[in-house]
Amino acid sequence: MSWWGEQEAPGLENWLKGSIALFEKETGHKVIPTLQDTTVVVSEFQTASAANNAPDIQYLWNGIYHMESVWLGYVEPLNDWIPEELLKASNATSLSIFGGKQYRLGWYAVPYMWAYNKEMFDRAGLNADQPPKTWDEFLNACDRLKASGVIPVVGGLKDGPWGEWFLGHSLTQNLDSAGEAIDLFIGARDWRDPLHWEPWARLEALWKAGYLNDDLNSIDLYPGIDLFGAGKGAITIIVGPLVPKMQSLLGADKVGVMVMPVFGKGKMAGKPLADTQGLGISSQSKHKRIAADFLIFLNRPERVSALWEQVKQLPANANWDGSVITDPVIKQIWQEWMHGDNVPYVSNLMPTLFWTDAMFVNSQKIIAGEYNGEQAGQNAYEVTQKWIAQNPDMVEKYRQWATELKL
Amino acid sequence: MLRTSRFVPYLYLTPAALLLAFTFGYPLIAIFDFSVRRIRGASGPFVGLENYRQVLNDSVFHLSVAHNAQLLLAVPILLGIGLLLAILLYERPRFWPLYRTLLFLPYILAVPLIGVVFSNMLQLNGVINEILRAIGLRALALDWLGSAGLALWSVMGVIIWREVGFGMTLFLARLQSLNEEVTEAARIDGANWWQRAIYVTIPQLRGVIEFYIVVSIITMLAWVFSYVYVMTRGGPGNATIVIEMYLYNFAFRNALPGVASAVAVILFLFTLALTIPLFRLRAQALEEDRT
Amino acid sequence: MNAAPTPLDSAQPIATSAQKHSRSFPWERIARQAILIAASLLVLLPAYFMMVTALKTPEAYSLSKFSLPNPLTLENFDVAMRGGRFLLWFLNSSILAIGAVALSLTVSAPAAFAIARMQFRGGHSFLALNTALMVLPPVVMLVPLFLFLANVRLISTYPGAALVYAGLVTPFSIYLLTNFFRSIPHELVESALIDGASSLTILLQIMTPLSAPALVTLVIVNGLWVWNDLLIALVLLPRDELRTLMVGITVFGSRYNNDVPVAMAGMLLASVPMLIAYLLGQRYFIRGLVAGAVKG
Repeated sequence: MSWWGEQEAPGLENWLKGSIALFEKETGHKVIPTLQDTTVVVSEFQTASAANNAPDIQYLWNGIYHMESVWLGYVEPLNDWIPEELLKASNATSLSIFGGKQYRLGWYAVPYMWAYNKEMFDRAGLNADQPPKTWDEFLNACDRLKASGVIPVVGGLKDGPWGEWFLGHSLTQNLDSAGEAIDLFIGARDWRDPLHWEPWARLEALWKAGYLNDDLNSIDLYPGIDLFGAGKGAITIIVGPLVPKMQSLLGADKVGVMVMPVFGKGKMAGKPLADTQGLGISSQSKHKRIAADFLIFLNRPERVSALWEQVKQLPANANWDGSVITDPVIKQIWQEWMHGDNVPYVSNLMPTLFWTDAMFVNSQKIIAGEYNGEQAGQNAYEVTQKWIAQNPDMVEKYRQWATELKL
Repeated sequence: MLRTSRFVPYLYLTPAALLLAFTFGYPLIAIFDFSVRRIRGASGPFVGLENYRQVLNDSVFHLSVAHNAQLLLAVPILLGIGLLLAILLYERPRFWPLYRTLLFLPYILAVPLIGVVFSNMLQLNGVINEILRAIGLRALALDWLGSAGLALWSVMGVIIWREVGFGMTLFLARLQSLNEEVTEAARIDGANWWQRAIYVTIPQLRGVIEFYIVVSIITMLAWVFSYVYVMTRGGPGNATIVIEMYLYNFAFRNALPGVASAVAVILFLFTLALTIPLFRLRAQALEEDRT
Repeated sequence: MNAAPTPLDSAQPIATSAQKHSRSFPWERIARQAILIAASLLVLLPAYFMMVTALKTPEAYSLSKFSLPNPLTLENFDVAMRGGRFLLWFLNSSILAIGAVALSLTVSAPAAFAIARMQFRGGHSFLALNTALMVLPPVVMLVPLFLFLANVRLISTYPGAALVYAGLVTPFSIYLLTNFFRSIPHELVESALIDGASSLTILLQIMTPLSAPALVTLVIVNGLWVWNDLLIALVLLPRDELRTLMVGITVFGSRYNNDVPVAMAGMLLASVPMLIAYLLGQRYFIRGLVAGAVKG
């Protein structure tokens, strides 16, 4: 049986190998893992499926990254193979469900958050235990941080995804549900509405106020985060799996996490963003029973605990007992982001064209001084129209998905 | 000529023909077929000229074409510098073999390597701006790759940096095969360096110059992917996107191989149109070589 | 553009007259040297930057980017070796380059032999078509190649990628070898024929040994082409453990673009083998790439 996926989180590879060995010992079934390049995780599965050559188990990103494959008929619904209770507990999130069927099993947690440097907050005379909640508080904090001689917010936008992260945090703020985000991507809502281009206007204001690193447009995503780790900036956008690294660089007590400060009025504003990486089964697999058994095996309490003990990854599985976490920040992430009143990460809902031509492009152009918020909205509108024209077969599915996600 | 049975030549030709049919023949037919379908996975429904319509109406495609066109401005620069260096070296100044070795060096180095080094040098807080600031040109210390108006020019600068040695070497090789007596006669007649270059040397290089121009045009239109991919990924905000990158994005990122194939057909026809003069010029250049 | 004896080789013996004249115009000589020195410095600047930066500590780098490294450190190489799998990338690139060049030579030599030395229908058209293929950018063929290889399960395999690379360099191999075979004296072939040699014997025992210079050119031009390619490797080998050196350093450079000393240490590691090869075999490189002009 074959398994394809990437293991971007350090140490995951060993955990997987260990699990495969145990599974083989117990059942006699062999699983052959193949490591994919991050850039092709999605496209390679589709290509292989089209060639009737898909792996039995595929590592799947959430949302549209696997839903498109679902619509093309490449992914097996898990409901007939895996107990209902586990489907729920695995925390695959609502973005893995279509037409009442679930297509992914959650694996490990990827909460999206902002991190801040407590020491710098202290030095700037800010309360390091109460990071800014509203936009005004945030601007005030930036001001004080800047006056204290540090860069308030650091990031790297050259390769693009920082634009996605920023929008993922901010677009949510004027929306009531994930389904409304889809409305935007299929033209049922209008990007030219100031409500929806507000995120980019906020970015523009931050840039013009000098709150972002001046080389934002000339460094990549991870080097931008490294600026935070190197103690050169006070705040950065980050994902959960990277927090321990920042702690080891800056000292565990220096790193705090926060939700993006709120400017919007939607129901989703100010809530933590939860996402998980997951695993699914190919509809072409000839060993669906074994594949499902392996997925169930990976969710045994012992294996789930090992994910934390060996790799220091937060498991997605909700049955895992988070009280073993000793670090207060990680514990906070576990409680608030993964098990609190959270919302899905809406960037996972957009088509690739929008990802590159609107999310990357808009942020980069704002930093380059070519766009203001409104022009960014106009471009987002045009990209959406273009995508609709190019993918008429996908629009219908998207529409149905939006309806389901609003329920 | 060897006299063989009628089939033997084809026997010799077959392996190569099969390999060429696989890498060129099949794909060149397939892009025409794919370009009129909405490909999902391996095939898809016929959509007529829809893909072409979308590409030709897409502002990002227009931008890509405009960028490739802008890169064409590098051709006269490459030609000018290449010729100048070749003529200088032809006169065999002291250390000329050393200069030739050095000036040809960039052309040997791989584009990704050069791209990574230059994108670090060109950072806002990189070495180039440090030098500019140090010599009092603070106003020139710009965000070379991070600002939309400059990024493509910066990429062009790097392309010139790498490719100039090639033209130089090509011209030098041709010069060294020329009859020196003509230049000598001009010198004796009192022609100065400039006059000799313009009226004697360059006219003799005409064939190779024309050839070089066409090759460089094709390079600028269809062989600059790695520069852009490594240095800017087409950004900031599509400011450096080129046709190849547009095609790549549609094929491997936006999962629309049909649209990508329409771009491939357009690019293919473009190159084909340029290949025809190239053929004529190369034939001429070969003639010159023989005379 | 003929590969066989290029003018470069005859450059040295006639070097005297121009030197004599440059002595008579001292200002001209100075201007000439000034331009050449300036151009050389421009070429050397990135190399200088790469070397000094690779030996600098991050602190020293942030203080001054241009100055010589002080203190000297080798730490960056250590980090680079841990952050990038350079040995693996070298190995992958080498396997592909060697495989593709060998395959291309194996199919091109017989084809060129037939075109150059046998009379048959379609020979001329084949050569013309072949020559036209030399300028075709690979990106045009990439989508069908990718889908085809995916269909026959050759994506992410050495044979799949090597086959494509071999195919892409073959037009040049055929072109160059055809020209070279044509320049081999007819008498040699005739006498072999009289001795009763078969056409295969003539190819293997007469043509091939005599074509050593053209073969060296091909190995260099085609090998360098495969070695330096990014696009095809990116598309056809989307696997961590199959990354070529070019894909590897692209990813590496992007990962460390805020840790410039480490990035430069990595680039230095990646460029040293090529630099040594160039300095040792400079003559062949120059001659080969001039002959390969049409490849762009």
